[in-house]
Amino acid sequence: MVQAFSTWLHGTRLSWAVAGGVPWIWPLCETLHFMGLALLVGIVGVFDLRILGMAKGLPVGPIQRLMPWAILGFSINLVTGSLFFAGDPFQYIHNVAFGFKLLFIGLAGVNVIVFYVTGLYRHVDGIGPGHDAPLAAKVAAAASLFLWVGVMYWGRMLPFIGNAF
Amino acid sequence: MMPLLASLENSGFGTWVRESSSLWAYPTILFMHTVGLGFLVGLNVAIDLRILGVAEKLPLAPFEKFYRVMWAAFWINALSGTALLVADATTKLTNRVFYIKMACIFFAVMSMVLIRRRAFGAAADRAAVAAPARALAAMSLVLWAGAITAGRLMAYFGPVSGAPGLQNRLP
Repeated sequence: MVQAFSTWLHGTRLSWAVAGGVPWIWPLCETLHFMGLALLVGIVGVFDLRILGMAKGLPVGPIQRLMPWAILGFSINLVTGSLFFAGDPFQYIHNVAFGFKLLFIGLAGVNVIVFYVTGLYRHVDGIGPGHDAPLAAKVAAAASLFLWVGVMYWGRMLPFIGNAF
Repeated sequence: MMPLLASLENSGFGTWVRESSSLWAYPTILFMHTVGLGFLVGLNVAIDLRILGVAEKLPLAPFEKFYRVMWAAFWINALSGTALLVADATTKLTNRVFYIKMACIFFAVMSMVLIRRRAFGAAADRAAVAAPARALAAMSLVLWAGAITAGRLMAYFGPVSGAPGLQNRLP
């Protein structure tokens, strides 16, 4: 099914355009992908590092106001990443690094869902300046940092472990 | 000048970074450069956004603690960047885009230092930050975007460099 979808995708005008049919789409998307990365890692980093005890003067609740910017970064990367895939699906579908990258993104998503569903989110939201986060939240924050750094690792390994670019 | 760059590039270290098939050579150094970018630029952007008025309920002063991480990320990138530069000295140092990237980073780091002086002083806890600090924050966003753009476009303008087999799609 993946094979059939990829074959169809590869035949579309979009794929043609991204893969060089329209010059500069690929480099433009790469540049945006790095900007999205910085937005996501920076904002999520502020939240996770605060939970872990750095910059404890920050109340945790209001950090949520920065989150739309992290979501913007993630969205930029979802769109540009999908365009890379559309441009040349076959260099990704058999690529081990790509599989791990998707897995790590998925696990980071699960981590966020668990954070909300278990009510940890509400607990953490009320933590004021100078106060410690509970251990469970710290574990989630450490997992989040590990997983996003992991996503960067697998993304970077796309050309080296697999052979995409 | 060219013989010097060639000898750098062909040094044992330069050759190892560029041509070793080990994942610890070019791939890992490039990965370190990406992680450094994420934390250096990302935390700068978070501080810039706060200064520009996003999440005003957050006190600004505690953000100063992130400077430690930002400087660590800066040095990771200075070191990994130097290694990548040595490996491709003849191509990168003759690429105009490289100097644009360096200029952007120089001024972005200057504004990072100036923001620390301007916005993290006695006035730090005021919700609204003074206009000069806001101008610096806006400039910082533009400069980091410029550094990222120039860094990426080095692969597309001028002489081709990078690990053999790692080819970017030339438009």
